Amino acid sequence: MARSSLFRVLRPLSPRAKLVIGILSFVLPVGLWSLVSYVPVVWHPQIMITDPGSVSYLDDGAHLARDAYDSEVAAAKQEGRAAPKGVPANPIYLPSPGEVLRAFYTSFTTPPETKDGQWLHQSLWHSVRIIFWGYVISSLIGVPLGILCGAYAAMARVNEPFIEFFRYLPAPAFGALMVAILGIYDGPKIAIIVIGTFFQQVLIIANTTRKLDPALLEAALTLGTRSRQLLTRVVVPAILPDLYRDQRILLGWAWTYLIVAELIGTTSGITWFITQQARYQHFPNVYAAIAMIGILGLGTDMLLALLGRHLFPWDRSLAKFA
Amino acid sequence: MVRRAAVGAVLAWMAAQAVGAAPAPLRLGYSDWPGWVAWQIAIDKGWLTQAGLDVKFEWFDYSASMEAFAAGKIDGDCVTNGDALVMGAGGARNVMIMLTDYSNGNDMIVARPGINSLKDLKGKKIGIEIGLVEHLLLLDGLKKQGMTQDDVTLVNSKTNETPQVLASGQVDAIGAWQPNSGLAMKALPGAHPVYTSAQSPGLIYDVLTVNPASIAAHRADYIKLIKVWDHVVSYISDPKTQDDAVQIMAARVGLAAPKYQQLLAGTHLISIAEAQKIFVKADGLGSLYGSTQIADGFNVRNAVYKQPQKIDGYIEPALSAMLP
Repeated sequence: MARSSLFRVLRPLSPRAKLVIGILSFVLPVGLWSLVSYVPVVWHPQIMITDPGSVSYLDDGAHLARDAYDSEVAAAKQEGRAAPKGVPANPIYLPSPGEVLRAFYTSFTTPPETKDGQWLHQSLWHSVRIIFWGYVISSLIGVPLGILCGAYAAMARVNEPFIEFFRYLPAPAFGALMVAILGIYDGPKIAIIVIGTFFQQVLIIANTTRKLDPALLEAALTLGTRSRQLLTRVVVPAILPDLYRDQRILLGWAWTYLIVAELIGTTSGITWFITQQARYQHFPNVYAAIAMIGILGLGTDMLLALLGRHLFPWDRSLAKFA
Repeated sequence: MVRRAAVGAVLAWMAAQAVGAAPAPLRLGYSDWPGWVAWQIAIDKGWLTQAGLDVKFEWFDYSASMEAFAAGKIDGDCVTNGDALVMGAGGARNVMIMLTDYSNGNDMIVARPGINSLKDLKGKKIGIEIGLVEHLLLLDGLKKQGMTQDDVTLVNSKTNETPQVLASGQVDAIGAWQPNSGLAMKALPGAHPVYTSAQSPGLIYDVLTVNPASIAAHRADYIKLIKVWDHVVSYISDPKTQDDAVQIMAARVGLAAPKYQQLLAGTHLISIAEAQKIFVKADGLGSLYGSTQIADGFNVRNAVYKQPQKIDGYIEPALSAMLP
């Protein structure tokens, strides 16, 4: 892996380099995180008290800023009292990778504590269902509309100015309205995902359609294709691989609306877990839950990418960087 | 063909959702506050069913519960008396039919070390969510010291961020309720309360407030519900059953039982007998009428809404009065 072979403009990497660098992209941030967590000299701006000594307001496990700790120790020594003891620590909002990993495991193995409670995997599954339906409903309308807008200038002119306007309205702002219309359960949550995804979807897919190679259209017209056939036999098949990739990106988009969507109406899904744990500052659990969403999202995307390569073996751009 | 089937499936599913959401006769909202989490005991023990009630308690984020009530999607909601007015002023008619508790120390003004009283806060910065109950609490405390809001600088801060705000050192005190107030003291050791709701009990009453149409239709059910509440209060107060009660409540919010015990200590739960006294019309914080009047004045002054509300229309003591 000489440097020259790594940095060539728009050239694919060798399979080995791809694998190594791909792994590095996770190892580097986690390594940095471990360094900050496990090597006290790097940061550790606080002291976690292990023995409060004679200081009345401290107790075991309390976090104290380093200078405040130092002055308490100095004061205690000067007056001949028992000095507090402690170990360097990071603020509680930055737990170590080990703590998060443990939280990841225990949060799945802890049974629900209330009678109507849910296991974590049930909550996660609930969230996945919300995303799925939001995405499906948005796609059922958004994909055909996007293709029509891309293919016919008149359709684009009718729809796009309004959609351009609407896509800037923040989806969460529709929360109260959606509750009023769709009730307090899953309806308004799905609606927020749809609002967050749909408008971008139409524009992105319209754009993809417009990028179609005009040579294909000309060839088809020369061969006597009629207008409607042009759409179904030429345009749609030609853009399918790009459409598929757009849909993958849009699925990620839908996921980003999950947390705001699930805060609307009755609290449910993975959001219930995250907000509740954050409220009581159980940060390892919060990070673990965020990681779960990341893993689910990335996992789905990798599966879809793999599927894409089988569906569209002729599409070079999929193989190049994926 | 396939697509039509898919559309059909989606529509059928949405219809099923709509039917699934069809009423259990009573749907009530509750959220993370000890006086409301207490309902979990009645739910887990099956007391609601035993009383012949078909009530479904829905767990919300506090502000989401008010949205759902305002949209007419639930029959009743657990809120503070001040927020009952806010919902009503916004068009969601509601009537407070029972008291769950008043805050007895859980709401606090927490100051950094070195500031020992509200008086010391003169000219200092206080992080507080403007227009919310802690703001009211602060004004009440300042008034007792002969001070006003002009003597301090308010920094508008989200209540759940106040622990970090105080720890950052950019303010000298914050106002928050539990668990945020406790977390603020943990985040900045030596920080301590200089004024709490225990010093003005009744400034903030927590209530179950209900859509008037629902009262008309389910009057008998609500009376049964209030009776169940009395059972909950005695189950929590009784030393013999308290541990079990705290266990259930702690589980609901995902906290260890001993920690929850502390939160409970700052909440004074209200039995039927006590509620009947608070439901008597009078000035001052000992009466729900007096307390709500003060909250109304505060809301109007802080432009939460414009028109002062007619307090009497918001309070319905008759249901609690029916019980022995």
